[in-house]
Amino acid sequence: MRNSIPTAALSEFVNEVSDTPEEALMDYGIEINWESGTRSRTDTKPMKVGPHQVSRSFSWKADEPRQLMGNNHGPNPQELLLSGLGSCMMVSFIAGATAEGIQLETVRIDFDATLDLRGFMGLGTNSTVGFPEIKYKIHVTGDASQEQFAELHRKSVAHSPNAQTILNPVGLSGEIISTQMESQSVAGFAPTIQPRKKVQS
Amino acid sequence: MSDKTIQGDTASKAPRNTTGGWLSDLDRKRAAGPFLADHASPGTGMSTTAVHAGTHDDPRTGAVGTPIYQASTFVLGDNQYKSVEDGFVRDRFIYSRYGNPSQWAVQEKLAALEGAESAIVFSSGMAAITSTVLALMDKGAHVVASSDLYGGTFNLFNQEFPTLGMFATLVDPHDYEAIEAAIQPNTQLMYFEAITNPMLKVIDIPRLSEIAKRRNVRLVVDATFAPPVAMRTLDHGVDVVIHSASKYLNGHSDLIAGVAAGPRKLIDMIWPRLLNFGGSLDPHACFLLERGLKTLAVRMRAHEESAMALATYLEGQPKVQKVFYPFLESHPDHATAKRLLKNGTGNITFVIEGGDAAALRLVDALSIPKQATSLGGVESLISLPFNTSQATFTARQRADVGIDPGCVRLSVGIEDAADLIADFENALGTIYASKDLTHA
Repeated sequence: MRNSIPTAALSEFVNEVSDTPEEALMDYGIEINWESGTRSRTDTKPMKVGPHQVSRSFSWKADEPRQLMGNNHGPNPQELLLSGLGSCMMVSFIAGATAEGIQLETVRIDFDATLDLRGFMGLGTNSTVGFPEIKYKIHVTGDASQEQFAELHRKSVAHSPNAQTILNPVGLSGEIISTQMESQSVAGFAPTIQPRKKVQS
Repeated sequence: MSDKTIQGDTASKAPRNTTGGWLSDLDRKRAAGPFLADHASPGTGMSTTAVHAGTHDDPRTGAVGTPIYQASTFVLGDNQYKSVEDGFVRDRFIYSRYGNPSQWAVQEKLAALEGAESAIVFSSGMAAITSTVLALMDKGAHVVASSDLYGGTFNLFNQEFPTLGMFATLVDPHDYEAIEAAIQPNTQLMYFEAITNPMLKVIDIPRLSEIAKRRNVRLVVDATFAPPVAMRTLDHGVDVVIHSASKYLNGHSDLIAGVAAGPRKLIDMIWPRLLNFGGSLDPHACFLLERGLKTLAVRMRAHEESAMALATYLEGQPKVQKVFYPFLESHPDHATAKRLLKNGTGNITFVIEGGDAAALRLVDALSIPKQATSLGGVESLISLPFNTSQATFTARQRADVGIDPGCVRLSVGIEDAADLIADFENALGTIYASKDLTHA
């Protein structure tokens, strides 16, 4: 099996979707709970693959380094963003190579990006809040020519959902459901440590 | 040496690789099968299908019937190597754990009988169940299943699932509201039996199918007690139908086998579990199963004829307290049975006066039915749930699924009804006469 992907099954799925487009609709969801400080835990919700529920029992944590008021207990949100982007480009690259009949030996993608936190902090007006640029290099060995790999690179980015989400404007529609609690600090008294309570979100 | 012959399904071809295009250019479509060449089945009736579908005369000699391909491995050529490379190994002969012409022949017959695109035979019904369930569930997934489950399936859910991070909720198979309420966001499967064992509850499969579709869950049904001829389970919207083929399908109590049948898409997902778990069926057992299947329709008619006559007789006996046979008007699910079953089966469950002690005397006093577990054979088989199929239950757990003391599980074979009735007449007379004597 080339690249551990059954080309026949990939082809059958593509043709199935062509005949029944609802099989292409994937519903995803995650839930993020604040744990402490800058640390949060993400849990995947069950997803829907076409018209069928699929269990996704996965969980991971994100945190910031100590220098950014965190405890360095996990990758930070920027690293997770790059990971989501790069893993998606990887799937696209491998699937495209397999369809093309290219046998891959190794694939590694290096990502680098610089963030200027002045945007996050609200200092200055010229720095963007997000990444102004994301750089990557794909290191690949396999039985295709340089031209074939270059074309595969172009096609795989063009068809990567996460790459296209980052490259194009995307709607972000949210709401907040808040509950106000009675203030537990009393002015004029010595401060006491109060147990943190989660705000319903 | 290079061999261009296609050893396998000649209709199955490798996808054409894209050249500078994208996935949308891939041209291989999913198709029913895999089939041996010239697999046309004459006629549409169940008897004709049972005799002819999937049976392939020997192309070399003209010998009638599928030869037994008693081989573990196959000579490899270009087409087999290509199937390995492109991931359609299921359509080529490579190694008998992956596929063998004897397996394909009987799979084709079973698929035709069930109206399925594809089928896989396994080395037992439990191998079919385990492979199917684990193909359709992921880590953390949940199944809603019948509380009347066959013991082997119950053990899979109860003993193995927690180890695998999977969970089951067991629900009364007649309580459709409770079944729906048990579905959770991580529920991937509803698992039920078409007719339950031993109480012979006939489950409203179309209603389960409606719930499964509306709630985006797959429905798998074990139809061991309702083989095709009695019911084509997939026609009622079920995703995958499973059988212990050791029962009615083979019909001769001389082999252990299982089958899963359904759309090619799902059976192709189950097939890697056949490879990984190793439950492949030996070619000689495939031959026996294929031969047994040829008489499925005529056997099922004979089972119904003798079982209906015997059930009617038993219902008229004063020492027989209850008789469960779906085609008797007294059966709680008679209306569902008349709607869903095109043919009766041989299973009768009844309760006699005097509890399990009297039931033990009865099975000893009978001369035709063999005192043995299993069902669906040409010979009548009789056993008691309390010391066989439900032996691990407490008396209260048995009562919860409707098994009263004195409950007898009978699988009526194809013997003459008159002989079976005479045997029961004699046995009932003997045991109650001897009981009266001991009390005298």
